[in-house]
Amino acid sequence: MAFAVGSFITLYGLSRSVHENVERSFDEHGTDLTVKRRGIAEPFGGTIPQEIIPEIKKIPGVEDVAGQLLTFAATDNDDNVLAVGWSPDSFYWTGAPLKAGRIPKPDETKVALVGSEIARTMGKTVGDDITLLGEKFKIVGLTDYHSIINRNQVIVKLEDLQELTFRTGAVTFLSIKLENPGDQAEADRVSQAVEALDKLTVSPSEGMLRNDSLFGLLTAVSSAMAWVALFMGVLMVLNTLLMAVLERTREIGILSALGWSKERIMLALVIEGFILSAVGSVVGILLGVAGSKFLSSIPSIGRYVAVEPTIPLIAITAIAAVVLGVLGSFYPAWVATRASPAEALERA
Amino acid sequence: MTSSHLLQLEHVNHTFDAGRIVALRDVNLDFGEGESVAILGASGSGKTTLILVMCGIRTPTSGVLRWRGEPISTLRQWTDLRRTEIGIVFQDFNLFSTLTAAENVEVAMFGSGASTAERKRRVEEALDTVGLARRATHLPQELSGGERQRVAIARSIINNPKLILADEPTGNLDSKNAAAILDLMFDLQRARGSTLIMVSHAPDQARRCARHVNMKDGQVVDQTFAPARRMRRLREPSRTRLSQSQAPARAIHPHHPRRGVCRRQLHHALRLVAQCA
Repeated sequence: MAFAVGSFITLYGLSRSVHENVERSFDEHGTDLTVKRRGIAEPFGGTIPQEIIPEIKKIPGVEDVAGQLLTFAATDNDDNVLAVGWSPDSFYWTGAPLKAGRIPKPDETKVALVGSEIARTMGKTVGDDITLLGEKFKIVGLTDYHSIINRNQVIVKLEDLQELTFRTGAVTFLSIKLENPGDQAEADRVSQAVEALDKLTVSPSEGMLRNDSLFGLLTAVSSAMAWVALFMGVLMVLNTLLMAVLERTREIGILSALGWSKERIMLALVIEGFILSAVGSVVGILLGVAGSKFLSSIPSIGRYVAVEPTIPLIAITAIAAVVLGVLGSFYPAWVATRASPAEALERA
Repeated sequence: MTSSHLLQLEHVNHTFDAGRIVALRDVNLDFGEGESVAILGASGSGKTTLILVMCGIRTPTSGVLRWRGEPISTLRQWTDLRRTEIGIVFQDFNLFSTLTAAENVEVAMFGSGASTAERKRRVEEALDTVGLARRATHLPQELSGGERQRVAIARSIINNPKLILADEPTGNLDSKNAAAILDLMFDLQRARGSTLIMVSHAPDQARRCARHVNMKDGQVVDQTFAPARRMRRLREPSRTRLSQSQAPARAIHPHHPRRGVCRRQLHHALRLVAQCA
């Protein structure tokens, strides 16, 4: 049960973390709506022409629009990092928290802002060079974002990245700032207006992955694995109790001989199931938290997601494990009460 | 023997293997309050089956069992009787290996409605009665065979039952321990006025009972009663010496047993135990 709960927390936490980290990375840029190419399953696969930005800016209710190009790019030591391209006039720059250095000047090229985590793991600092897609970029600043994705991204000028990825004039996402972010009717109007311009999909930034098929698939697979792990744990509890009942038939016979009613024997076994599940849940939570921290500490995983089991996830998992464990103990308990005390006592 | 009926068996039959094996055949017996009865017979004569039928652990194929004149037919009735009125002592003790002596005794009290403090007090008294107060926290495997059986006896009397059924209680003990256990059981039976029905195939042990029920091939072939002279002697407290490790029950032997235990004191002490229980 402990391993099942631990696996569930880690796997489910992983799937949730992917979502939460991506969405948090958008939140940190202060965007209200995110525009993607309609129908593209890959999150970074679609492109949107830059020339649509002025048209969107004209839509009533839109305060500002910025585009960003994203790609996983090979860097020093053949490591992959998330490379992000921002246009010089993008509002992204003004919101970028700096740990060291400065924002690139409008006329600079081949310069980069490096996330604090990637700077730490690669041993880079302001003034060093970092290689992206075979080109050297000068690090002019280190960013200090909260989300794990933003801490692990390298920000360069949009034109530089477009040139290196052969996507001139294209961006991956557009971010829209609304004049009245709290006005849902206005947000809906803007969304409809943007979608009418081209084959685009607009979604609130906090829910942009909700309809993303790739993330949906990832979530479905990891959630399914998590649930399978939890049910395996319940089956283990059931099996353990069933074995315990079969091995302790004689003891159950003695209890019956001492005047324990079937209900009392059943209750004792269900309580045993509860204790097994509860102890398993507590140990599993510890394992899950430890497993999550371990996963986050692996560079290839921790670079993109911080697997952080939340309190609600832990609480729901523990409650589910205990409830399923108790339910799972009913069958062995029922088997126990079916045993004839005489035959039980005669067993050596 | 008293005249009041405690347990009656009327035309009781019990078969195994779809009737191919007959374990009990038309058994008719009547047990009164305060009796001591030995059930004798060779192996396979039906003694143990009879004991199991008399406490409801086995349901007879046919026949009627009555408790104080009332027919007992449901498992629930038997469960209640075993919890409150019938104590059972097994040949192989049947203690829980993971529980201490005190916990093994206490386990028979769950469902009695007694509070934790009450259970603890009565367990201490019961263990004291069987001379195991100092061994309360020991696991069964840390006790000798005789001590284990005394734990089982303490467990059987913890609910102050009217009937004690003992299935070869000394079968796994050496002669010295066997004598001590029998002393304890008969002293308790006399002091509490309970009925003791004991399975045995040792005639010298059976002689300590007032009535002998002889069985053969599942049938009661005859019953004999001890002569009045021997009955008087049987009513006297036991004189078997117990070793230091088998310290005699203080409530039963408050003084040196060879110098004679005052029966009044003995009964007074045990009545106190019974009242408390």
